[in-house]
Amino acid sequence: MSSGRGEKERLRAEREAREQEATAAATRRRRLGMLGGAILAAAAIVVALILISSGGSSKGNGGSAGRPLEHVAEVNNLFKGIPQSGRVLGRSDAPVTMVEFADLQCPFCAQYAQDALPTVVSRYVRAGKVKLELRLIAIIGPDSGKARRMAAAAQRQNRLWNFAELFYRNQGEENSGYVTDPFLRLVASSVPSLDVNRAFSDRNGAAVQALLADNDAGAIARSVNSTPTFFAGRTGQSLAQLNPSSLDASGFTGPLDQLLKG
Amino acid sequence: MSDRRLGLTLALLALAGLGVSGYLIYVHYAGIKPICSGGGGCEKVQTSHYSKLAGVPVAVLGAIGYGVILIASRLPGELARTTTAAVALVGFGFSAYLTYRELFTIHAVCQWCVASAVLMTALAVLSSVRLLRAPTASPRG
Repeated sequence: MSSGRGEKERLRAEREAREQEATAAATRRRRLGMLGGAILAAAAIVVALILISSGGSSKGNGGSAGRPLEHVAEVNNLFKGIPQSGRVLGRSDAPVTMVEFADLQCPFCAQYAQDALPTVVSRYVRAGKVKLELRLIAIIGPDSGKARRMAAAAQRQNRLWNFAELFYRNQGEENSGYVTDPFLRLVASSVPSLDVNRAFSDRNGAAVQALLADNDAGAIARSVNSTPTFFAGRTGQSLAQLNPSSLDASGFTGPLDQLLKG
Repeated sequence: MSDRRLGLTLALLALAGLGVSGYLIYVHYAGIKPICSGGGGCEKVQTSHYSKLAGVPVAVLGAIGYGVILIASRLPGELARTTTAAVALVGFGFSAYLTYRELFTIHAVCQWCVASAVLMTALAVLSSVRLLRAPTASPRG
């Protein structure tokens, strides 16, 4: 009798062990399925995020020199009739000076150029109240250096501002190699009164090197290591760093109005 | 490691991630330079095109991700575990992409971003392990 009961218990224990194992195996399979689903869903979301991230960078004309540039008329109208002398835009006797250290590849510099500069130019520079100084430095990569050499060559012909603004409006993806000679030629040839061939021959010359070295020296003297960095003050006096609350016009109108009052 | 400990570790890692992303959000909106050792790599990365996704700073997206992981890691059940793993895997994948961009496009490395990428990697691994190894319901009698 007792051996029969023992046998029954053994069989029952074995059955329970098998059931437990089967349950555990089913749970494992279900969880692997859930993890697989999570991985697939995550991969799909990551691909979407990457597409948004890299898609947004294919803005402008950068890298597709075969296409016409964007915003040419808008940019040229912005500066039409305003004196340019080297890196300075505006009347030399304007009571306030604002200096910008910028990199032509920098997206936030492009944001400022697009969102704030038109208001600053039309409200203050055109009215002779503020003069702007643009000092191009190269911190993002090799394309920055190539772009600013051409910009400095345009600066020698007093067309830096048109070139830089047009470049920003057609900026490509950072360090993607979009700053090719055809792209630079496209930008330069859209700048009124710029001798493009002269600019190309000037860009590697000593005069351009000296202009860029002066920009770099200014950046080092003011401890500039990111772009855009702004300094502003009464003309002829020392300039203080201007930290705009935003890169649209509202970030600049307040500080400039304040300086003009002083 | 027990399920409880795994959950606690996930919560602590998510909290650390919230600290990192919170700091980067503060730096972004205060317009100041992040504390960064060597060469201005952080500013370069933080002012690059890749610091924003559709106009939203990626640090904000990171903070949302860490917040969801923190909450989900403290909740019971398989759905919470799966959510934790899925969000951590998304964070891991996007961090890997951003690290690639840092190294090969921006040519600068931001220590804060690396710290976040390491945290997301650990979260992805641990949350996947936790999902697979969670205790099963008691067997029928």
